[in-house]
Amino acid sequence: MKKVITFFGLALGIVLFPAGAKIFAQSNTDSTLYKLQQEVNSLKSGENHFMVAGLTTFGFVSSSIKTNGKLQNPARTNSFDGDNFEFSPMMLWRHGKKLLLEFEPSFDGNQIGVNWACASYFVTNGLIIRAGYFVLPFGMYNKRLAAGWIDKVATDPIGVADLPPASDWGVEVEGGLQLGSMKASYDVALTTGYQIVHDGAQDGALQNPNGSGLTDNNNNKMVTGRVSLLPIANSSLEIGFSGQYGNVGDTNDSLYKNATSMAYAVDLTYLADLGPLLLNIKGQYNVINVSKQAFPSTDSTSAGKTYTFSNTTTSYFGQVSLRPVAIHNKILRNFELAFRYTDFMTPKGSLWEQNTTQTSIGLDYWLSWRSILKLTYETVNTNNFKLGKAGDVTKANYIYLQYSVQF
Amino acid sequence: MKTKTIKMLIVAIAIIAIPLSSLVTGCVSAKVAAKSGSQLWSENCRRCHNTPPANTFSGEQWETVGLHMQSRALLTDLERDKIVNFLKGE
Repeated sequence: MKKVITFFGLALGIVLFPAGAKIFAQSNTDSTLYKLQQEVNSLKSGENHFMVAGLTTFGFVSSSIKTNGKLQNPARTNSFDGDNFEFSPMMLWRHGKKLLLEFEPSFDGNQIGVNWACASYFVTNGLIIRAGYFVLPFGMYNKRLAAGWIDKVATDPIGVADLPPASDWGVEVEGGLQLGSMKASYDVALTTGYQIVHDGAQDGALQNPNGSGLTDNNNNKMVTGRVSLLPIANSSLEIGFSGQYGNVGDTNDSLYKNATSMAYAVDLTYLADLGPLLLNIKGQYNVINVSKQAFPSTDSTSAGKTYTFSNTTTSYFGQVSLRPVAIHNKILRNFELAFRYTDFMTPKGSLWEQNTTQTSIGLDYWLSWRSILKLTYETVNTNNFKLGKAGDVTKANYIYLQYSVQF
Repeated sequence: MKTKTIKMLIVAIAIIAIPLSSLVTGCVSAKVAAKSGSQLWSENCRRCHNTPPANTFSGEQWETVGLHMQSRALLTDLERDKIVNFLKGE
């Protein structure tokens, strides 16, 4: 009987062991497969994608300024360059292939501001709709060239980068179009608009309403638009025309509520391969006309009287740069030579009348496609006037050593 | 006098350089549809900045960056897709 039980035990073991081993192996395989599936799922693209890009620019400046021929004391100052410092992480949040949220806060050494915070919907070919706070389509410098890692010299062109104010709140429609072997683009924005200043110092100047533009100052909206044409098949030439119109008076301001602003800009980009050299030409011309207004006289001898002036501001810059992109020497081909000339004239007869010329010569070294080391020599000459009378004349020269990187 | 000379110099360089270099490079007549992703990448990116290498971002990141750059350079959908696919290695 004992033998029978032992026999049965052995037989049962022989039968069940492979089955148990098979079940164990199966569950092990299932578990490995499940883990692999989890890993693959985590790598698969979902509907949303979030990434952080951005840029930073920092450097050193040595400056010397003469006012009315008299050298400042000390004759030359050397410091870290706070005026051109920037740290701007940019957040891009994509939903599917149609919706993009863009947010770029920026610390300039003094405060944290916002360059843009907007949502763009890519409706169809040639039509993008944007809403929020964005860079206005006026000229091409602010929207395309202002980033430190793109700009070939260490500074912005005076009077082009900041006039009229670069960003505003509203909606925008834009798109690129193909015209045979040519291309074209359009970009139109409807925004809060600007506010005319009448503070006794900057009478007639424009600013975003209440500083930021978030609170509107009137019921009218400003229209800004740019159209561009790329007539050469390889897209190396782009010519842009911009216009801007809006009421700039405050609704409740009986004196200036009908004030309007009309501005125009022409911009040009041209690239050419000249043997081993890449020639890069850029330029922009801005005109801002604000309707003529009468402002209370600030002169104590003319108390109760008003003064007026033709409120036209013009500014332009032209830039040429050369880089030997196609030579064999790896070090030499990373150098780029740049020259930029800027002219800025504020309204004649205003309290803030000035004529400024800015000449910049830069030698750049590209550490990578998106990081640049710039050595820039710049002169800035300003003739100041007050109500048409000549004022201080300043002549300044600057040497900048600047590093900028996009990430 | 000095300022006027500089202004004239810039204008003269622009006036001479544009037609001259157009002659040197030639105006290749090609529609966007016939261009490759690499050609569009080379022609469009460098109008503002250096051309980025493909390994700068992952495939998903290029999709996102592609939308961002389309709205800056005002590219057509076809141009964007070709450039992004080229950078993704597809």
